[in-house]
Amino acid sequence: MKQSVLDAPVRKNLIFVLPGLLLYSAFVLGPILAAIYLSFTEWNGIARPDFIGFSNYLSLLTDSNFVTALKNNALLMVFYCLLPLFIGMAFASIVRSLKGREQMAIRTLLFMPYIMPSAVLGIVWHWLYNPAFGPINQILKSVGLGAIALPWLGDFNFALPSVGMVATWYYCGFCMVIFLTGLQRLDPSIFEAARADGAGAAYTFRRITLPLLLPEIRIVLLLTIIASIKSFDLIFTMTRGGPANSTLVPNIYMYQLGFQLNRYGYAAAVAIVGAILIFTVNYIVHRFVRPADGGSR
Amino acid sequence: MLQTVRMHLSAATRRRALAATATAAMALSISCAGSASAADLPVWDDYSYEGQVAVIETLVKNFEAAHPDVDVQRTQRTFDDLALTLKLAVSAGDGPVVTKVNQGAKDMGAMAKEGLLLPLDPYIQKYGWTERQSDSILARDRWTKDGKFGTGETYGISSLGEIVGLYYNEKVLKDAGVSLPLKTFEDFLEACDKVKAAGATPIAMGTAKQHLALHLLAGISQAHIDASKRSELDDLIYGRGGSWQTPGNVESAALLQKWAEEGYYFDGFQGISGDDAVQLFIAGQAAFLTSGTWYFGDMKANPDIHFMAIPAPKGVEHPLSVGGVDPAWAITALAKDQATKDLAGSYIDYMVSPEAAVEWAKAGYLPSTKLPDDANIDMTPLLKEGVAIWKSLNANDAIGHYPDWSSPTMLKTIDDNMPLLLSGRDTPEAFIGKLQADYAAYLASK
Repeated sequence: MKQSVLDAPVRKNLIFVLPGLLLYSAFVLGPILAAIYLSFTEWNGIARPDFIGFSNYLSLLTDSNFVTALKNNALLMVFYCLLPLFIGMAFASIVRSLKGREQMAIRTLLFMPYIMPSAVLGIVWHWLYNPAFGPINQILKSVGLGAIALPWLGDFNFALPSVGMVATWYYCGFCMVIFLTGLQRLDPSIFEAARADGAGAAYTFRRITLPLLLPEIRIVLLLTIIASIKSFDLIFTMTRGGPANSTLVPNIYMYQLGFQLNRYGYAAAVAIVGAILIFTVNYIVHRFVRPADGGSR
Repeated sequence: MLQTVRMHLSAATRRRALAATATAAMALSISCAGSASAADLPVWDDYSYEGQVAVIETLVKNFEAAHPDVDVQRTQRTFDDLALTLKLAVSAGDGPVVTKVNQGAKDMGAMAKEGLLLPLDPYIQKYGWTERQSDSILARDRWTKDGKFGTGETYGISSLGEIVGLYYNEKVLKDAGVSLPLKTFEDFLEACDKVKAAGATPIAMGTAKQHLALHLLAGISQAHIDASKRSELDDLIYGRGGSWQTPGNVESAALLQKWAEEGYYFDGFQGISGDDAVQLFIAGQAAFLTSGTWYFGDMKANPDIHFMAIPAPKGVEHPLSVGGVDPAWAITALAKDQATKDLAGSYIDYMVSPEAAVEWAKAGYLPSTKLPDDANIDMTPLLKEGVAIWKSLNANDAIGHYPDWSSPTMLKTIDDNMPLLLSGRDTPEAFIGKLQADYAAYLASK
């Protein structure tokens, strides 16, 4: 049997990996290592960085703005992860029951927000929410609901949910598509057997559909959790973290520290903590959300 | 045989083509290298509004026409983009030779301290810039090597003057029964009350973005300071002491909070950006707007709109007006040799020349350089009002300061806490206390 060139020893095959490795090192690994180094320094972006050990990380522990950013991020996970998951699953069930062109049209419409750049959507929704010009408040006022025509993005209580709802709208179409592929993967005979045994719709969903969709649920959770922790563009274009930090998240805080306050070392520490958070939360999801047989895809 | 000849010809052709390409490349590189060392002038500026772009492009063309061997490589950035990229670009050795830079500790101060900007004092003397702009204006571009503001070497000079004043809509005020002109601060307060009673919005406000609330706070506070007693404010801005905790600041903060609580601003102002509030004001939706002369171009759309300094309370003869100048022209450390430095100096000289000032005035902008007495300019009514105020402020040494220059972090501290003040979550004393804490931390860090 003819041997493949890739059957050569690893050191010989490294030559094939080298171009990709060089690019990865230059544009991914290098900046990550630089950020780790900077997080142990005090650097204003101009002068030579001063090594200060773990001071930045220790300061983060008592930094009320950082704690606020983490709390806001935890709340945003409801809008980035949980709501899209449930709504996406409901949409998938509805769309699956449709046929032909109807299904394609509804599926396309629901998925459409996801193909738009989220920064553009942020600008559009900023306008939709505008208390003076925006259609949302205009409609509320025209139907006699002027009392609840709030300054959505300027209200301490509603700014975060207002931004979060846009994220939910953005991600639920994506979740729907993932669940649709999952539903198509399931063997129809299982559902026919359940029906023959007298199982109701709710029981079938809870005991059959949901467990069989766990691989898709895990994928959705992993991706939306990553998106929520690295959220930046929607919030930047809609509120820039305001009012009074009520929509501040770690990435916005990192931007402010670095580019507005010239505290690049401290900003790097925020970035590293954010990365660690992503790894930790995703590890937990990866470890505990999996099919009962322990299988992994 | 035929095949061999073709191959020989082909090889010969290839060699000739290669040689020609190499020659052309060498010639190109020599010519590029020559022009780069002799007459390329990379310039960054923040003139990004349509009207500004037209003026600056005219000025650059004029300069190039007067210096045929110079190629000005202009890069246009927004004010925010300039602040984000300038320091990193210059420190990496890949930025402009001439640039606009925002005054204050965060940008100009930091760059001057690290040697990324060159002092302009030789060119100030050479070209006589002190004859064109007052010393009080040039002091805003001075920094010492150890980080003292307002003194030491001069690192910049500006093209445009800026006054934060009171725009008012004459029609809205007359409809509300307000008689003009407003002579005192008390008249202004009374006018606001009358407009409110008439069912209109007294003050255009939007706090979601930009800094209208800061301008209103500082404008009112500084209008209560007579030019003869400005030293405490100067000390505060130049980091020589002073304090945010003055009765004027606390009273101004209390007034802003009262107006927010009593509905003197736009409904939902917390969710409206400053730029949107300005557009609403231009559309006649409010009686007053406190902002700067940089909106003169936009305000032309409504002939009912006029501009004045925020009136002072009785007893204050020459009130300060917040303002100063736009970001300054500066020479970066990337000007390595004397010829490049001199070229940069000559470019800046033209940008702050009386000729350039006339071009700015023709476009409706307020130049910081004195206009020639014989200048024949068809000024807009707003610009006439602005020029008159600018002359008066300069004559009385009454140009105040942007208070966020007092520390590198002050603008963010104000932005973070202003919504808390306006929503009533912070008392005026607590709000001013936070600004003082920021300032004290900066002084301690120096």
